[in-house]
Amino acid sequence: MSSHDWFVEHRAAYFAGALDPEERRSFDDHLTRCDECRAELAALERELGWLPMGMEPVKPRPGFRWQIVRTVLGGARPSPWRTWAPIGVAAAALLTAGLVASAGSSERAWLERSLDDANVRLTALTDSLTVMRRAARVLQASIEMDGVQGGFLVFADSVTHRWNVVLHGMPEPEPGMTYRLWYVCSDGMVRGRDLTPVAGQPVIVTVGMPDRGGDVLGAALSVEPRSNQSDEPQGKELAHLML
Amino acid sequence: MSRSVERSERRLLALEREASLRARLIARDERALVELVDVATPWLLAAVEGVVGRSADAEEIVLDTFRVAWTKIGTLPPDADQRILPWLFRIARNRAIDRLRARRRYRDRLERVATLEPDRAVQQAVEPDEAAQPGWHVHRQVHDALARLPDEQRTAVRLAYFHGLTHSEIAKRLDVPLGTVKTRLRLAFDKLRTALAPLKDWLT
Repeated sequence: MSSHDWFVEHRAAYFAGALDPEERRSFDDHLTRCDECRAELAALERELGWLPMGMEPVKPRPGFRWQIVRTVLGGARPSPWRTWAPIGVAAAALLTAGLVASAGSSERAWLERSLDDANVRLTALTDSLTVMRRAARVLQASIEMDGVQGGFLVFADSVTHRWNVVLHGMPEPEPGMTYRLWYVCSDGMVRGRDLTPVAGQPVIVTVGMPDRGGDVLGAALSVEPRSNQSDEPQGKELAHLML
Repeated sequence: MSRSVERSERRLLALEREASLRARLIARDERALVELVDVATPWLLAAVEGVVGRSADAEEIVLDTFRVAWTKIGTLPPDADQRILPWLFRIARNRAIDRLRARRRYRDRLERVATLEPDRAVQQAVEPDEAAQPGWHVHRQVHDALARLPDEQRTAVRLAYFHGLTHSEIAKRLDVPLGTVKTRLRLAFDKLRTALAPLKDWLT
């Protein structure tokens, strides 16, 4: 096999990004000198340019498209905190409202949805902060899972009898599994909310007290099969906190 | 006029306007950016998440891709071979693969891709039509072309192109000789080139 034959044989793998790093460097170097391979790669790019659309499209989370437009036009680097920052949310809402007034009908519906999303997030954030501010007890546990260190916090509001529950730094559970909050009650365990990390962000939920199980004595966290809808934990317990 | 029909017609009108999208982007028309983001984001997220998984990284890469597009659209050669969406896919995939390989948890990804994730590249998605998701007709054609590949070739394409594994890693994962993986990839891409050749510009 001649030297050039090797590059011919590996064009498809190069196009797919499947060459090992050293091979890829050799191929990159070869491309600077070989018109034939360059032309063939360009043809592959042209003919298979739509191949990524074989993937099932992913619905962006609410507000993400607006975040893209805002960031690109503003020239700012994206920040995961921007989504949660009240000032950012309020600014987005105001800017969205301004654009709604001037945009065409097709953009208007989308911008209105973005405004609604921003308002919902702002309301949820305000409510979450209220519960945290009133919290008489704060329970905390460190969790290690799959070599990843995360945390589980419960802010217990003694005025409204609600909890802010925070799960952070945890890997996404395997398919069919979920992180689940449990109420540790005087009559036994009571199933609480499923906590699903999305895109590496912390999960922050506000929950009320269960209407069964007697007095609430504490909280627990497990990684649980989604199919288990009973009050009996079946999965591995990750944290157990008593008030 | 029902709302769904109105929505459908609005989408079709938007598609007809796409021929001028490049010119409007070069002219810094912010509505053109809104239109591009609206149409392309679900497809870019899918391509990037296939490689780096569902994570903050995926959103950051997609956002970066649009930033590059907005900044460098004027450098895209104005010929039919250089189309906007494939250009965005190239930028996004390269960044995703770079990110993936920079991660120390590559081994975890290797295991996860091959054992846990469904074959999203060849699943029939539930989103119904062009009106609900612009580009749907392209997805259908690519999906059909992938579905016609023999299983072992489709698996090689899925792991290499859609999930960013190298051919050595695929060989190890599938427990087959490296040369077999190379052959499967080469045969698969030859077939895909033929199958997808009739695809005309959708978003130029």
